[in-house]
Formats: sequence, structure tokens, C-alpha cells
Amino acid sequence: MAQSSLKLRMLEVFRFRMFSFIALVCVLLGFLIIQLINIQLIQGKEYRRRSRMNMESNIPIPAPRGEIYDRNFKPGEDNIVIVSNRPSFNISTIPARFNNKEEFEKTIKKLSKILKIPYEDIFQIIDQQNPWERIILKEDVPLNLIIKIASNRFLFPNIDWNDESVRVYNLGKIFFHTIGYVGSISKDEYAKYRDIGYKYYHKIGKTGIESEYDSLLRGIDGYVRRIVDVKNRLEGEEIGASPIAGNNLILTIDTEVQSVAYEAMEGLKGAVVAIMPATGEIIAIVSKPDIDPNLIISRGNGKIINALNNDKDRPFLNRAVQTKYPPASMFKLVTAISALEEDKWKPNRINYCTGKFTLKGYIDKDIYCYKTHGALDMEGAIAHSCSVYFYQTGLSAGPSIILKYANYLGLGEKTGIDIPGEITGFIPSNISWKLKTHGQRWYDGDTVNLSIGQGFISTTVIGIADFISGIVNNGVVYKPHVVKEIRSPDNTKVIKSFIPEKTREIPLTGLTMNTIKSGMRSAVKYGTAARLSYINVPIAGKTGTAQTRSIRKENYSQHAWFVSYAPYNGDISKAVAVVVLVEYGVAGAASAVPVAEKIYTKLVSLGYF
Amino acid sequence: MIRKDEIYRIDYVLVFTVMILVLIGVLMIYSAGFDPIEKINKGLYKKQILWFVFGFVLMLAVTFMNYKILSEYSLQIYIGFLLILLFTSLFGKTVRNTRAWLNLGLFVIQPSEFMKLGLVILLAKYLEFRERDIKNFKELLIPTVLTLVPVLIILNQPDFGTAMIFIPILFTLLFVGGADVSHLVSIIGIAAIALVVPMVITYREWIGQEGSNIILDFFRDSTLLYIVSGSLMFIAVTSYTLHFFYIKKYYRKIYIPSTVFSLGLFFSVIIHKYLKVYQKRRILVFLNPDLDPHGSGYNIIQSKIAAGSGGFFGKGFLNGSQSQLGFLPEKTSDFIFSVVAEEWGFIGSIVIIALLSVIMFRGIQIALESKDKFGALLASGISSIFFYHIIINIGMAIGVMPVTGLPLSFISYGGSNLIMSMIAIGILINIRMRKFVH
Repeated sequence: MAQSSLKLRMLEVFRFRMFSFIALVCVLLGFLIIQLINIQLIQGKEYRRRSRMNMESNIPIPAPRGEIYDRNFKPGEDNIVIVSNRPSFNISTIPARFNNKEEFEKTIKKLSKILKIPYEDIFQIIDQQNPWERIILKEDVPLNLIIKIASNRFLFPNIDWNDESVRVYNLGKIFFHTIGYVGSISKDEYAKYRDIGYKYYHKIGKTGIESEYDSLLRGIDGYVRRIVDVKNRLEGEEIGASPIAGNNLILTIDTEVQSVAYEAMEGLKGAVVAIMPATGEIIAIVSKPDIDPNLIISRGNGKIINALNNDKDRPFLNRAVQTKYPPASMFKLVTAISALEEDKWKPNRINYCTGKFTLKGYIDKDIYCYKTHGALDMEGAIAHSCSVYFYQTGLSAGPSIILKYANYLGLGEKTGIDIPGEITGFIPSNISWKLKTHGQRWYDGDTVNLSIGQGFISTTVIGIADFISGIVNNGVVYKPHVVKEIRSPDNTKVIKSFIPEKTREIPLTGLTMNTIKSGMRSAVKYGTAARLSYINVPIAGKTGTAQTRSIRKENYSQHAWFVSYAPYNGDISKAVAVVVLVEYGVAGAASAVPVAEKIYTKLVSLGYF
Repeated sequence: MIRKDEIYRIDYVLVFTVMILVLIGVLMIYSAGFDPIEKINKGLYKKQILWFVFGFVLMLAVTFMNYKILSEYSLQIYIGFLLILLFTSLFGKTVRNTRAWLNLGLFVIQPSEFMKLGLVILLAKYLEFRERDIKNFKELLIPTVLTLVPVLIILNQPDFGTAMIFIPILFTLLFVGGADVSHLVSIIGIAAIALVVPMVITYREWIGQEGSNIILDFFRDSTLLYIVSGSLMFIAVTSYTLHFFYIKKYYRKIYIPSTVFSLGLFFSVIIHKYLKVYQKRRILVFLNPDLDPHGSGYNIIQSKIAAGSGGFFGKGFLNGSQSQLGFLPEKTSDFIFSVVAEEWGFIGSIVIIALLSVIMFRGIQIALESKDKFGALLASGISSIFFYHIIINIGMAIGVMPVTGLPLSFISYGGSNLIMSMIAIGILINIRMRKFVH
């Protein structure tokens, strides 16, 4: 009996302990299920993202930039493409994806052998960047090398390739300063633009309209989703999103006129602007010397760009908008306008040029004209650019009035042209400026200098073009611009048309206008620019020779200006103004006028007038 | 040997559950062995089918002989497996630095798997034999030695995970076999103190938190620890002696805890002194893989990504990117549950856990219904083998257990574990079949 009761008690104990064990089993199984709910249901999304990150390698396809056409663009026809793109391949990697340093270095060294570039250079590129981001190791890699790498993928873990369009500047140097060029985004640019969608691997317009219209030209990137296994073997590839090409630009520039202007400036330094005053459209804008943009757009050519930056001729400088020159004799027009408008001078007033002018003062001082002109009225004075005549005109008007009109005519302001980096000319606001900055009062000698455009003042080439546009257009000035239209990538839709934008109105009297214009016409008919008189369109113009303060001993230490327009007294809506500046030319007529001559000849042959 | 009517008492629930699990396992091994790039399969699943057929035959064979024979020959079975194990760890085949495999010409077996079963049989036999005296502390010595001998051999292979699984199985059998709970808690307490103290110190030194902390400084001072350990031992011996002369129950409340802390601290000093820093760090990494994100930490991270990314419905058969593209390591064996969780999602995971639970609970039920103590202990021992494999393997795959390299019963690829499990199922069927015989 005791035996069986003990057995029963032991059975009880066994049963109790088995149920305790069942409880442990249930608790631990419940624990597993809670963790499964946690990672599969609650955190499932995050783990799915991480599993995608493991296998996917998203490779960007940079969008092709918009193409650029000239003013003669007609939709659907075979147009001249000034800037286009061609397909190419980049080799890239994300360094942080390598399992260890040895694998990374081994792969890069193998790659450097295939690409035939020293591996130190590749390491240098990588060292400068964030290792968690995609780094382009080499761009524009030939297709056969890409095939070689692709067919040996397992040898090149984490090395990827992607399409990228390379910019092609079909007209090269001719448009360099106007269109500019593209280059890798710099650290500063990236910091500034990353919020509006720029990526560190992007190229960005550096100068010219590539820079000005970058946001319209660049389009939206696409990407390729590449699915790889743990050894980077390719399992599948699909387009994640197709790139959307950037918008195309239609310029106001006429390629033929531009080319002629460019050729006319061959061997010279300076700038040319041909503008239509009725709208502000620029037909040609050239700056010399220049650079072939095709040579400097690829990544990692900082050395070439640095060398060009240090070139004493400063080829990067856009002399049409980024340099100011003394306006010289062209300023005589301003002197004339101010004196006439304020009634200090009559257009038919005759002055006798003896080739010499005596400035009365504490000590009398003789100043000379470059030639003895004899009796001249205002028209003749402009035609012959007689300095003595304008000394007197200037003294009659007084410096305050001249400065007021120079400012009024906009010579001290930016024109607002859509090419970045424009600087302003310099016109003192009033005569007390001199006392403030030089500690001297304004002398009559300063006035005399001012009257013929020498001394303190300076203007840009585009500023002079803007000024002459106002004269031609009877006082109404339109903002000069080089882009006429923005079109969709396939050219079918006009996204934006640039309508002429009035920037200034100068209500000058008809008499003043006519005097200035007829003076300029006479300069071409029989005066300083008589060389152009044969051309089959009535041209009006004014030459100028600026003495520079350059200490460089060259044969010709003067700048040559020529400002002109055609047709004289013709249809304003068809008028074209041409401004030429040649640095260190012999004299205005000698070096600037022939450039204008070629341009007008071309304009006539193209039927502009 | 078997009566005709007993055929109908074969536990078809167990048989069918096992068949479904092995079928799922074969599918998962097929999926894990598939190379989506080369479009070829390594063919491990075919081998697994062969192992299953072989195991099935053995299961039937075991079913049809009386399990009493196991009781009679339990010592011989244990010694036989132990000798094979010893032979293997001396002359066996080395795979990945572990000498755990024995080449039998046609195939390779892993004797440590069979040792699990051998140990459970002998322990069941011993605990039945010493049923009445098991409350005596001295009686725990022999089961412990019987367990530690194969554990030490397996540790020497070295196969840390397999060796460790023996310990909870031993404790479960002692517990259900009727051992005094306070004895078991004391042993666990001593082991815990002896391990935790040096591990905490090593951990804090490793991650660079060495700052002066009064408690840690105390544990770092071995002389001080010896003194404390000695004093505690003195208290324990005194109170035990008093207990011996004047049998008063409350002396137990003094000498048991003081013995536990005394021995715990003593062994902790020994372990801290004689284990090398890298050995202690290896144990820490075993407990917390995040300490070594490029080694075992990598595996656990990838396994969690695989399981977690499966979501509710899973990515579909052959569609698990983590396993198909090779990010998941050991995907046919240790981490096969992650393949299930990735491809079949939460639903598939729950189904697998439910099917495995059927086997465990059926085992426990058989233990409770067994007509004799040996059968009861044997069935509970077998259930605990399955239980700890399942908890540790799945827990490891979803990141709540250390990485041990234990297979998931019936699912993971591997002949020895599958055959051992099938034989164990045969024993369970056998015990159940004979509960009706009186």
C-alpha cells in the first residue's frame, strides 16, 4: 500500500513537472512568434528596404542636356545644331560597398590597367569624395573596354558603368563665350544647388548660357536598376526610370553672322556685338581670344583649365560683357546729346577747328585735335570726330549735365543681357565724386577729357550696344538677349518665348536724334568710316580711339571702337546695330571698321535689310 | 515482436506531420540550392530525399521492436556511440575546422547527432533505476558525468553549438525525472555566476568602458574574491554542520545560497584567470553577434533581413532575394528557417512552427500516457531534443538566440540529424503503441 502510494505521489510529481515543461515550451514558442510578428509584420518594410539595398544597385542615367539652335531654326527641318550630345559610358563605383580594403585596392588596380590610367589617379579621385556616394572614376570610356569589364564582372566587384551624354559643341570656339561650357559640379555649387535636385555627379553649366539656362537645359535623370548577387554577378537589369531630356534653346544669334564676325576678329583681341534695336535680339556676339569648349568639358581636367586661367590673354574673359574700356570718341555722342537737349548748343553752330584748343585757367594750356578740321557744324564734327569742337560743346554743357545724361542713357548700368557675369561700365554720378575719391575738385580739364570720352569713365561693349540701340530706336531700349525661345526636347512644343522687354525709355527730342544720326551717317559717307560707304545699305557709324593706361609696350597701344547701325533713316524694325572693339588697334578706323564691314556685307547678302 | 492489432496503433499523426515537414524541408533545400543566375540546382534536395527514405525505413524498424530492448541495452548503446564519437574526434573528417564527421565510404555521418539519442536513452534508464533516490544530491553526479563526457569530446572537435545542446536536455530530464528543484537551481546559479562575472568584465574592457566602478573593481580583484568565496564557504560548512546536528529547516536557507555564491565566485576567478582573452571574447560574440559585425554578426544581420523582408505573405517560392542571391549564409542548414520566412512569409513561418509544435506536444503527450517510467522519460527526453533544436534554430534565424550552427529538425539539410530524428520518432511511435499493452 505504501509502495503504491509512493508510486502515485511520484506520478503526481512527474505530471506536475511535465506540465511545467509544457509551460516553458509554450512561453518560448510564444516568444518566437512575438519576435516573428516584430520583424516580419512591424519592421517588415524596413527589412524589405534593406534586402533591396543588398541586391539592387541603382545606377543613374544622367539626362541628355537640351540642344541649342540658332535663330533660323524651323521645326521639323534640318537645322544647324550649335550644341548637341553624343552617347558615352562612364565607369563608376561606390567605395563603401567593398567588403574590405584589399578587395577594393585589388579591383581598382585591375581597373586602372584596363583603362590605362595610373591607379594613383583613381585613388586620388576617390579620396576627394564621400565613399558612400557613387563616384565616377573615368568618363567617356570606349565601348570595347566596357564590354571587356562587363564580360568579366566577377573580377570587378562593385564596378558599374552607366550611360551619360557628352556635350558636343559643334561650332566650338565660335560660340565659346556666349554658350559657355559644362563641367563637374564643384563642392560650392553642390552645396548651393543640392536642394533643387543637383547631384554630386552632375555636370553643370559653368559659363555663358549653359550656366544661365542650366535649370532648363539639364532635364531629369533616370536610373537603371541592376540586380546583383552577393558576388556582384548580374541577375537582372531594368530601367527604373527613363531620363527626361532637357529643353532645347533657340538663340537669337544667326550662325552665319556669328561665324563672319568670328572670322573677322581672327587674330585680334576684342569683342563684337550685333544687335537688333527694335527687339534687343543679339544676332552675333563674339569675344576673342577664346577656347574650344570640347577640350575642357570632361571631368578631371582641372590642370588644363588652370593653365587657361593663368594665360595672360585671359581667354575665359568675355570681353563683350565682362570688360570695361574707355568709350573714347563714341562718348562725343553723349556730349552732343546733353548739350543739345539742355539747349546749351545748337546743332548748326559753327566752330572753327585750328587743330588746337587753349584751355583757359590758372595757366593756359593747349590741347590738340588729331587733325585741323576748319569750320564744322555739329554734324560735321561728329562725322570727323573733331575733338576741339566737342571740347567747346562739353564746356558749354558743363560736366554735371554730361554725367547726368551719361547715366540717363544707361552707360553706368547693366544692360541685363542673359549672359552671366556682366559688369557695369563706370560713370561718376556727379562731379563731387572726384573730390570724394581723389581729394581734388573737378577741373575744366576733367570736363574737356570727359567731353571726348577719356578720363574716369569706362563702358562695356554690350553697354555701348545698348546705348546705340536707344538712339536707333528713337529712345526706346529693349533688353539685349541671346535666347529667343525654349522648346520641348522633341522641338514640337514652345515652352517659352522671350518677348522683347523694354528696359528704358529716353525721350530725346527729334532734333537731337536727327543731328546725332545724320552726323553718324556723314561719318560713313565722307568721314572717319568712309570705308563702309560702298556697302549696299546706308550705314551710320562713329569711330573711337581710346588711349589706354596699359604699360605694355606694344606697337598699337590704343583700343579701337566702332559703333554703327544700318539702315540710316530706314525701317527701324529691320535695323541692326554693330559695335566692334579691338584691343590695342592702330586707330578706330584702321582695325575696328573692317570687322564691321564684313558683318554688314554678310547682313546684306543674307537679306537682313 | 509486434502483434497484428498494433499496426493500427501506429501514430499516423506523427508520421504524416513528419512527412509534411520533410517535404517542406526538401522544397526549401531545393529553393536554397537554386542558382538563379546559372539556372542550375546543386541537387542537395535529392540527397535529402534519399536520407529521408533511409530514415523512414529505420523509423519503421525501430517502431516494430519493443522499446524495452533499448532499456536493456542502454549502456551498450551509450558506450558504443561514445566510442564512435571519440574515434571521430580523433580520426574523423574535418570540415571547416571541425572534426565531427565520419566517412563511411558511401556516405558521411556526424556521430554527435546520434550521441544525443544515446545519452537520452541512458539517462532515461538511469533516472528510472534511481527513481526513489533522485532527490538526493549525490544522485545527480552520475547523470552529469554521463553528459559531460560527450560534451567535452564534442567541445574538442570543436563544435560549441552541438555540445551546448546537451546541457538543457540533461536539465530537462533531471527535472521531469524528479530531481530536487533547489539542487538544479543551485547548479544553474553556480554556473551563471561563474560565467557572468568574467564575461561582464571582459565585455566592459572590450568596449572600452573601464571607468572605476566599485562593484567591477571588486570583481576584478581576485584575492578579494578568494577571501569572499572562502568566507562564504566557511558559513556554508558551519551552517551545514549545525544543520547536521540540529535538523532545523532554516539552515538550508543559509548553506545553499552561501555554497552557490562561494562556488560561483571561486569558479569565476578560475575562468577569468585561465581563459584567454580571445576565448572569452569568442563566448561574448556567441552571446551577442553584434560585437563582431563582420563575422557571425554578418550572418545574423542577413538572416534577420531575409526573415523580416518576407513580410506577411512572403516573396514566393524561388523568389527570396536574400537566399537566391546568396546574401543569406548557410541557407540549406543553419538558416533554412530564414528561407521559409523570406519566401513564405509570416504565414509559412507560423505553419512550420505549428507543425513542429505538433511533434513536440505529441511527444509530451506520449510521455504522460506511457505505461512505464522509462518510456515516459525517454519520450520527454526526445521531446526536449526537438524542443531545444527548434527554439535555438528559429531563435537564431530571427535574431534572438546566439548563432550556434544547430539544424532545424526535419527541415535542415543533413543526413545524420534527419536520421536521428526519424529514429526518435520511431521510438515515440513505439512507446505510444505499447501503452495499450498491460
